Amino acid sequence: MSVEIPKTLEDFPNSSPRFVGRGVDRVEDPHLVTGRTEFIDNVVLPGMLHAAILRSPVAHARITGIDVSEAEKLPGVFAIVTGEDAKRWSFPPPTAPEEWGTHCMATDKVRYVGEPVAAVAAVDRYVAEDAIELIAVDYEPLEVVADPAKAMEPGSPLVIEEKGTNVMLQRVFNWGEVDEAFRDADRVFTEKFRWNRLGANPLETFGVIAQWDPVAGSLTLRASVQSATHFGLGRAAVFGLPSNKVRVIGHPHGGSFGGKGGTRGTDVTALLTRKAGGRPVKWIEDRAEYLTGGGSQSWDRHYEVSLAVKDDGRVTGLDVKLLDDMGATGECFGAINTVKPLAAFTGPYTIPVARYDLTIVATNKLPQSPYRGMGPPPHFCALEQMMDIAARDLEIDPAEMRRKNFIPKDAFPYTIASGNEYDSGDYEAVLDGALELSDYPELRERQARARAEGRCVGIGVVSAIEPGVFDWNAYAIVGVQGIGVPEGATVSIDILGKISIRVGFALEGQGQYTLATQLVADYFNVGFEDITVVPLDTFSAPPAFGPGGSRLGVALTGAVLGACEKLRAKLVRVAAGLFQMDPEQVDLVDGNLVAKGVPGVEMSMPQVVGTMLARSDLLPPDIDPRPEATYVWTAAGRTEADEEGRAKSYLTAAQAVHVVMVEVDPETGLVEILEYCVVDDCGTRLNPATVEGQTEGSIAQGIGAALLEEYVYDDQGQILTSSYMDYLLPTINEVPATKKGIVVTPSPFTPLGAKGCGEGAMHTTPAAILSAINDALVPLGARATEVPASPNRLWNLIRGAKERTAGE
Amino acid sequence: MKPARFEYAAPDSLAEAISLLEQHADDDVKILAGGQSLVPLLNMRMARPEFLIDLNRIAELQYIREEAGWLAIGAMTRKRAVEESELVRQRQPALLAATQLVGHPQIRNRGTVGGSMAHADPAAEYPALALLLGVELRVAGPGGERRIPAADFFHGYLATALEPTDVLTEVRIPVLDPGTGWSFLEVARRHGDFAMGGAGATVRLDASGKLSEVRIALFGVGAAALRLHDVERELVGEQPGEALFQDAGARASQGLEDPLSDVHASAEYRRNLARVLTVRVLEEAVGRAGGAGGREEGSR
Ligand SMILES: Cc1cc2nc3c(=O)[nH]c(=O)nc-3n(C[C@H](O)[C@H](O)[C@H](O)COP(=O)(O)OP(=O)(O)OC[C@H]3O[C@@H](n4cnc5c(N)ncnc54)[C@H](O)[C@@H]3O)c2cc1C
Repeated sequence: MSVEIPKTLEDFPNSSPRFVGRGVDRVEDPHLVTGRTEFIDNVVLPGMLHAAILRSPVAHARITGIDVSEAEKLPGVFAIVTGEDAKRWSFPPPTAPEEWGTHCMATDKVRYVGEPVAAVAAVDRYVAEDAIELIAVDYEPLEVVADPAKAMEPGSPLVIEEKGTNVMLQRVFNWGEVDEAFRDADRVFTEKFRWNRLGANPLETFGVIAQWDPVAGSLTLRASVQSATHFGLGRAAVFGLPSNKVRVIGHPHGGSFGGKGGTRGTDVTALLTRKAGGRPVKWIEDRAEYLTGGGSQSWDRHYEVSLAVKDDGRVTGLDVKLLDDMGATGECFGAINTVKPLAAFTGPYTIPVARYDLTIVATNKLPQSPYRGMGPPPHFCALEQMMDIAARDLEIDPAEMRRKNFIPKDAFPYTIASGNEYDSGDYEAVLDGALELSDYPELRERQARARAEGRCVGIGVVSAIEPGVFDWNAYAIVGVQGIGVPEGATVSIDILGKISIRVGFALEGQGQYTLATQLVADYFNVGFEDITVVPLDTFSAPPAFGPGGSRLGVALTGAVLGACEKLRAKLVRVAAGLFQMDPEQVDLVDGNLVAKGVPGVEMSMPQVVGTMLARSDLLPPDIDPRPEATYVWTAAGRTEADEEGRAKSYLTAAQAVHVVMVEVDPETGLVEILEYCVVDDCGTRLNPATVEGQTEGSIAQGIGAALLEEYVYDDQGQILTSSYMDYLLPTINEVPATKKGIVVTPSPFTPLGAKGCGEGAMHTTPAAILSAINDALVPLGARATEVPASPNRLWNLIRGAKERTAGE
Repeated sequence: MKPARFEYAAPDSLAEAISLLEQHADDDVKILAGGQSLVPLLNMRMARPEFLIDLNRIAELQYIREEAGWLAIGAMTRKRAVEESELVRQRQPALLAATQLVGHPQIRNRGTVGGSMAHADPAAEYPALALLLGVELRVAGPGGERRIPAADFFHGYLATALEPTDVLTEVRIPVLDPGTGWSFLEVARRHGDFAMGGAGATVRLDASGKLSEVRIALFGVGAAALRLHDVERELVGEQPGEALFQDAGARASQGLEDPLSDVHASAEYRRNLARVLTVRVLEEAVGRAGGAGGREEGSR
């Protein structure tokens, strides 16, 4: 049955939709604000044990002995597992790139500080933590490799010996005649950038309750997991179980941002429940575990970027060399972060040719995980600095530099050099909106006045793309095979006309249940109170991936509206049968089944549903009598990657311009954000309040990236930022109130024209702040090329510049 | 992140607390005040006392009183109470300024005045303030009560004159003399963080506008808060002004022994902060005292 998904609200069978497109209150919030959301740590199962994990204190060492005998004697301890159990019952996990994984507990050697070495299940967490202190591990130190450049040198210690190298991937992608473009350029600019390791920090860490069924040989996992289906398939592979023997019950979780991978901890916990004879075992990752051994770390990058530019400001070529320090393994799919930039390599610009020289290296650090934006934010941070460097040299205003190079609005759909297709946009309108909202000329005057007083004030004007609705094809080059990501929903009406929407993902915070409710309420012309959203486990949910890659808003809209359309068709057929008419003569109008052009011949939905449930004798013979329908949405038109990695991958391209003004204190290097202004275009805003919330949170994370957040390792692979005393997140004091404006260019490719917007400002904010800092530093002759731009770093630069001028 | 096993008692009176401390003198005994430093240490098992004596039920240790030129503050008084005290605002604004730089409101709701003195974190505001203002600390132990001037109380990194069986009972802070200019500033990565560097100053001017009394304290830059006696001496008798302050800053910076170095700030950067902050607190303090070369309040 072909299903026609509504393209606009006008296509809804409702003459006066009330919810879609409005900033309605979220259905998730009453539970959240009254503390009634059932987070994983609240769940208690009968007979449940508690796990604690013993982790390596050193970055690289051979394990020459583990003695658990003292721990076993401690009253209250039920099971202890080590690498031997991991070898007996599990395999290394699927990774990207492929075959760069190790068992969930060290079997022969440890490869990073925080790697699990042993674990205990006990009556409570206190006893479990007492017990792991009693486990004696003998470590024979190995030479540590903590620097990715050194890791590539011949003779370097190997993180995974069997691989024979630390280089996980090395490839050069050429898109067009890049050398020619640089040869023909009027000016070429080259700069190095350093983006230090940072990552997701949700309020809630990861947690899981694992229960092994020794009779069925099956595993049930209740977890604060982001993508239950994907997670379940991975666990089946790890434990060598058929995929229908691993059931995952996703729990509401307190944020993720990519940090809810949780695979190692889950696999260790699964070994514990098996060893404990099937008693359920809970493991709640504590904050120190999260920061040093969890899904907390991403993007550890060394860039060298060149730009080919014509004298009139047109950028004719981009050459990006990236060395990314992945940490010890590819188990958290961190490598995906390095290839997602292909989906928007040249940003919002018409740069016709580009090269990407990509090297991914293993070191003795925590494996990288996904993080909000999944890789492009550092790429854009570097690209936007290059745009500024060129603009400054050409004496072109940074806003005009962007304008000159924007993809024009009549060029969409537009295929960029790296192969992805952008759906739509009006970048100049967004730029003009931002310049107006920020009163850009006035900002420049303020800056001039401040400079005259000897103050260091700078303005950043930058633009970036948010690729939305991810597809696996984007990641083919790091060994992730596949095209298409399904999202399903079931819409079901009961005999009283009440509606359930069944989905396959747990609450994560982005307001998706609200979105589903808005759509169904408007489609069937009912109220919010008539609708419940029901998240299901992997054994009963429709096929689903859940949130990730700025996809769920679009994908869920497709799934829910597809299900609504199918259900409408069913109700129409039933009603037509009862009216003794053709289905073409019957319609769903404002929630009732009506005979077209025959006033008075109509039935309410509950009447039709009641008939379906009770009177199969009155139904069309071949109809499925359940008053429900399921639809599984996937993005259309996705293509396989070619030999240069080019594919139609991410379905949508949202765009934003940020205008930021900062002041740098030249004596201390402290940065104060004086003005922050955002205009963005993510197509149709299905719930503007949700979009604004995403933008606001993403700006905060962008500020963290630009100024504060950094996981620091020393040259022995010791992590120096293992608590929030040292890993600095932005607080309300560091995040300014922002001015926001919008432009709406609906996507021609998505249901209702919405674009992915969940990762949002993270793509733009770090670049914008660094640009503003660099604008402030111009009179001092200094340039910042490293984030976070900490006070100490900026002070070093300013002092260096002073010494240079003094020496001249 | 669960503490190791410990015994626990929560006495209602100071006398009871002291007798418990005596009884457990041979155990590894520790006092619990606001818990803002100790509880994280317990949870990370970096502190593992056998016996914990909780002072939170002792009402007699929570007060702010004025006594003949001093503010007498009970050791268990919360920083929030200091912050909200009208007496503090009127009599010792430097105490208010320092208090507002300690962590966040949530931390100040629990954290105590005594706890910050007893913990003696090198980057904490209170020990520096104590050195700056000439605070007196009153201590009750098995041998009776002792009165210890701040200069003798702080013994370096996280170290004080307190014995394991001592209770710090009262912190006595001189009220600000009219005519004294003061300043208390710090540089931190984020609002509410422990400072990468901080400084306080008090100054008095004579009739000719020259500096007659100067005190400067630094914190966050070395293993413990410190007074800059040498720098202070050089300033007394001088006409205040930008060049003089810069000079003082340079000397403060040069005189710094073994500045701290950590992930947030290098030793060199901290040396720089010692200079910058010394200049800034002098400017502001002189400004408040109505002197030349001073800076308006809040112009930084
Ligand atoms: C997020 C955060 C930010 C913070 N920021 C700052 C900051 O910017 N500046 C700052 O100075 N502090 C900061 N702190 C620490 C906070 O101020 C603590 O309150 C303070 O260090 C200790 O006070 P407390 O009452 O909590 O003592 P506790 O933590 O209970 O005890 C600390 C130590 O003092 C001893 N002790 C406490 N009271 C007595 C007593 N009466 N007699 C004898 N010994 C005693 C205890 O045995 C223990 O060794 C911060 C804390 C947090 C969690």
